[in-house]
Amino acid sequence: MKMFTALRAEQMKHRHRFLLFLPVALLFFELIWAMWSLDPKKPSDLTQGYMSAFYMLPIVNALIYPTFLAVLTNRVCDMEIKGDTLKLLYTLEEKKTFYNCKYLMALKYIALASVGTSLLPWIAGKFYGFTDPVQPHMFVQLSLATFVVSAALLSIQQLLSLLSSNQILPLVVGLAGSFLSLFSMFFPPAAARLILWGYYGLFGFIGMNWDRATRISTYYEVDFNWTGLLLFAAFSIVLYFICRTIVLRKEV
Amino acid sequence: MNHMITTNALTKEYDHKKVVNALDLRVPEGSVYGFLGPNGAGKSTTLKMLLGLVKPTGGQIHILGKTLSPANRLDILQQTGSLIEAPAYYGHLSGKENLQIICKLKNVPEKEILRVMHLVRMEKQMEKKVKNYSLGMKQRLAIAAALLGNPRLLLLDEPTNGLDPAGIQEIRELICGLPEHGITVLVSSHLLSEIDQMATDVGIIDKGQLIFQDSLMILHEHSRSRILFRTSDNAAAFRLLNSSGMAVKWDNDSFYMDNVSDDKIMEAVRRCVENQIGVFRVTEQQKSLEDIFLSLTGKQVSL
Repeated sequence: MKMFTALRAEQMKHRHRFLLFLPVALLFFELIWAMWSLDPKKPSDLTQGYMSAFYMLPIVNALIYPTFLAVLTNRVCDMEIKGDTLKLLYTLEEKKTFYNCKYLMALKYIALASVGTSLLPWIAGKFYGFTDPVQPHMFVQLSLATFVVSAALLSIQQLLSLLSSNQILPLVVGLAGSFLSLFSMFFPPAAARLILWGYYGLFGFIGMNWDRATRISTYYEVDFNWTGLLLFAAFSIVLYFICRTIVLRKEV
Repeated sequence: MNHMITTNALTKEYDHKKVVNALDLRVPEGSVYGFLGPNGAGKSTTLKMLLGLVKPTGGQIHILGKTLSPANRLDILQQTGSLIEAPAYYGHLSGKENLQIICKLKNVPEKEILRVMHLVRMEKQMEKKVKNYSLGMKQRLAIAAALLGNPRLLLLDEPTNGLDPAGIQEIRELICGLPEHGITVLVSSHLLSEIDQMATDVGIIDKGQLIFQDSLMILHEHSRSRILFRTSDNAAAFRLLNSSGMAVKWDNDSFYMDNVSDDKIMEAVRRCVENQIGVFRVTEQQKSLEDIFLSLTGKQVSL
């Protein structure tokens, strides 16, 4: 079975599913959040508007993306469980081709959402007229970190969706991941690293100092953890193969 | 005789328990092969092994003259169609859109859709969403999907499950007509009457073991007749004939003799009359398929 044919068939399954609506809804929600949160209250807010946006978005991602991934994977995979199609599909295509196609299909929307998310600071900046210089590398760092962490979480969600006859479980795991990732930001750094969903925040590259006396926040850029991201990407690939092996081993 | 499916000592174990035990299936080309057995006998597991969905613990499978292996599984299955346990469908898509996906995966032109939908009499329902289909329509759609690409072999696992009598009749007629199109059908069921009306050949499986395999005609030949007696005092007549060494069996307030000669029947009647027991009726009763199954497996099956 040619991968392209299987991908085309996968695409055909998603007719009338409005999957594009999911990243659009996510981006709309994040945009509303960003516009509300970045609304400058005083002139000094304009001078570090972009920095403030890049500080805020990884935190928002940590809260929103796990749920988005759970819903997206659910939409991509639940049709196979509901329609009891696996026994038929596995006689028409290789199990791993089926798994790869599902993953790639969801990954497409994740890539779209990640790029969209990284553009939100630019939109907010143009709208409010931020005066600090735009740093193009920050857009790349944010979209890459969002994409890589989401790709790892997608493996877990896809595994759960394809193994559970009841699709509530993967959705609950996604929701729990959202809360866990948010709380993990208050954990000691070593403990926070154990929470997979929290890596959206861990790959943040903007620090903040808050002066209690003047009640002024100042943002500063920290070195992006490229080594950490590369290691995480490698981990994502390993996780992908582990999850795929588990799904392939299951007899239908 | 050419066989579309041959298995040699096909075995599947789960937790050291053999659910399919050394199965030697022989499915003749052009037949409707009824794979019969009670629930849990190992029918679905066998069909799944034939499709490569379940890995056998032991044994070999030959389909269309080739030995089934992970490497050639999809090539062989390209010439087969299947419906295992329940109809597979995408409820949010129309019947036609469902079949378009199968066409794409089977590499079959979409013009085939109209032909198979016509075969299952679903042409008028093609544009309707499958979630709005009745179970019978979903079942027929699944059979249509299995028929795409003119398969030489069709594996159907309990295809009439959950259907109303009219639906069962329709599916039955459809299956019976498939060999005319050059399709060999392996159909499993736990209903003896159903297999009796569809199959040309029969395999009976119980507790994972094949206990009978031959043509339906041969199976019917196993249905030896029995001679049923109705007398003025059945209990006394039974005691009398039994004590005189005749092979009589008690059943439901009457007694019978198995497949005996006319002389033996005459002697039994004479003995009864000589002992002042009136003989009302002596009737020959053919064994039903259910009785044969009972005698082969030693247990009652659902009808």
